[in-house]
Amino acid sequence: MPDPRANDAPAMAARPPGEWRLPAPYGWRAALAALLIGLALIWSAQRVEIDRMLRLTGEAALAQVGLQEESQVGRGLGRMFGALFPFAIADRQEVARLPDLDRDALPRFTRIETIETTRYEMNPTTLQAEPVVERKEYLVHPFGYLLKVLDKMVETFEIAVWATIIAVLLSIPLAILGARNYTPHPALYTASRSLVSFLRSMPELIIAMFLVLGYGFGSIAGYLALGLHGAGFLGKFYAEDIEAADRKPQEALTALGAGKLRVLRAAVLPQVAPAYVAYTLYILDRNVRMAAVIGLVGAGGIGQELKGRYDLFEYGHVGTILLVIFLTVFVLDQISARVRARLIG
Amino acid sequence: MARAALAQDGGGVRAHLSFAHLVRRFPDGVRALDDVSFDVPQGQFCVVLGRSGSGKTTLLRSVNGLTDLDGGAVRLGDTAMTRATLRAIRRKVAMVHQSFNLVERASVAANVLSGAVAEAPAWRVHLGWYPAHLRARACAVLHRVGLDEIHLPRRAAALSGGQQQRVGIARALLLDPEVILADEPVASLDPAISREILTLLRDVARERGATVLCSLHQTDLARDFADRIVGMRHGRVAFDGPPARFDAAAEAALYGAADMPTRPAPRLIEDRIYA
Repeated sequence: MPDPRANDAPAMAARPPGEWRLPAPYGWRAALAALLIGLALIWSAQRVEIDRMLRLTGEAALAQVGLQEESQVGRGLGRMFGALFPFAIADRQEVARLPDLDRDALPRFTRIETIETTRYEMNPTTLQAEPVVERKEYLVHPFGYLLKVLDKMVETFEIAVWATIIAVLLSIPLAILGARNYTPHPALYTASRSLVSFLRSMPELIIAMFLVLGYGFGSIAGYLALGLHGAGFLGKFYAEDIEAADRKPQEALTALGAGKLRVLRAAVLPQVAPAYVAYTLYILDRNVRMAAVIGLVGAGGIGQELKGRYDLFEYGHVGTILLVIFLTVFVLDQISARVRARLIG
Repeated sequence: MARAALAQDGGGVRAHLSFAHLVRRFPDGVRALDDVSFDVPQGQFCVVLGRSGSGKTTLLRSVNGLTDLDGGAVRLGDTAMTRATLRAIRRKVAMVHQSFNLVERASVAANVLSGAVAEAPAWRVHLGWYPAHLRARACAVLHRVGLDEIHLPRRAAALSGGQQQRVGIARALLLDPEVILADEPVASLDPAISREILTLLRDVARERGATVLCSLHQTDLARDFADRIVGMRHGRVAFDGPPARFDAAAEAALYGAADMPTRPAPRLIEDRIYA
């Protein structure tokens, strides 16, 4: 009778276990790769001035604790941060520019403030500087600007939501075509993967700039740009999860005569759903943040407001905008963490 | 019982499943199936035995086209298996798998209903909203395999192995298959549960008059449950007959004397535990 092990491993010569060689945890190739990557990073560190970055940061830190007079970084950033505070919450408009204002029935929460400013003017007859008092009246809404920013933030969130919807709708067909085990044809696989890479490689700021030329200023260019870029991410991740899904239930349904789309729906989708939700929430989160950025090129939302205030050096307003963006992202993160936990648990 | 007795002798009954000169070569040149020919009559519980790699699984998978053949023909009733008839045959042939092959994250109800995934209208499949008669049938088959309403919303992964295989059988039964292929259905279950599952499989097949082709590792289970045993060795049929004829000599010839025990390690451990 033959050795029972002969069937499984016919090529292996029998050796006593003392002479067996365990495979090494990593080979010389991995060690060489790590060495080369290290050398490349050292070379690159000089090009991007890592040493200077560390020196300046160190100086700033020393200046903070009083060990050094002042530092270049601290000076620049300090001026900026100083200007951000206090956050501008109120909205004030000159009454002279509001011809329709009815002084007996002011809008809710508003009041009129009078500000006197004294200037010195040369009196042409006496040739002496004389004080001149100027009065300006302002209609002040104590949290008017905050409301405006929140309104812009809602618009930004809408842009992000629609961008996410567009990204999901585009990436579902791209993912099916771009999954090796479900693509109808290898050419379609290559085409889909190429398109997805292309969409991912185009920065949304640039896409938005082009789209603004076509669709004009406003949110259309914003959500289209974010949606296209998002499809580049989701198309890739969705497809890779389809490829990695457990094959056994898929085989079971194939054996029952189900076509590819039905197998995808009944055997793959339940497996990948939690990951898909996680990716989609990440894209939504990213779209909220990026929607604030692409407003800079006129694609709607809070970014447009941010750019305007920044250019007018109204850093108090910039501070309010940044705070609102941060709070929105923070709250969204908390909510998405809960949704994820519920779906995955 | 009468039908089983009739099926046992095999002769004179119309072949339900027929294999003619099946050949399957793997890329490395090994012949998983090497000229396999036999017929399975309607309603027979036919067990395929053999060592790992003897071609049992390949034989089963040739019936529903999960494995392509390099030669020979499979017939189901009057239909020869071709590319054109593949879908139609698959809808009549259900499969019960060694590792259950359930969608682990989906509910028991969804897993059973997925047995009708090829039959229900596409929009219903995609919405996950199966028609009422299928939902009613799903409940009926789940009850038949010994599960309860409380199991319906549970995830398949939350069930024990035996319960998961019951769900697998329920899924297979949903569309009243003519043939049930069982690919080592109890290989990952303990001995007591294995007997329960095989009893269930045999009973539900008899109730429906379905033909069963079942591969097994355990010769004792094969003797107890089979109407007929087909032994495979190196891709060929090495034994074919009723369990009564599958004696120690036949077993030794099939498995080779060197590794006689059918379940070597587990049996030793069991003996120690239950001693």
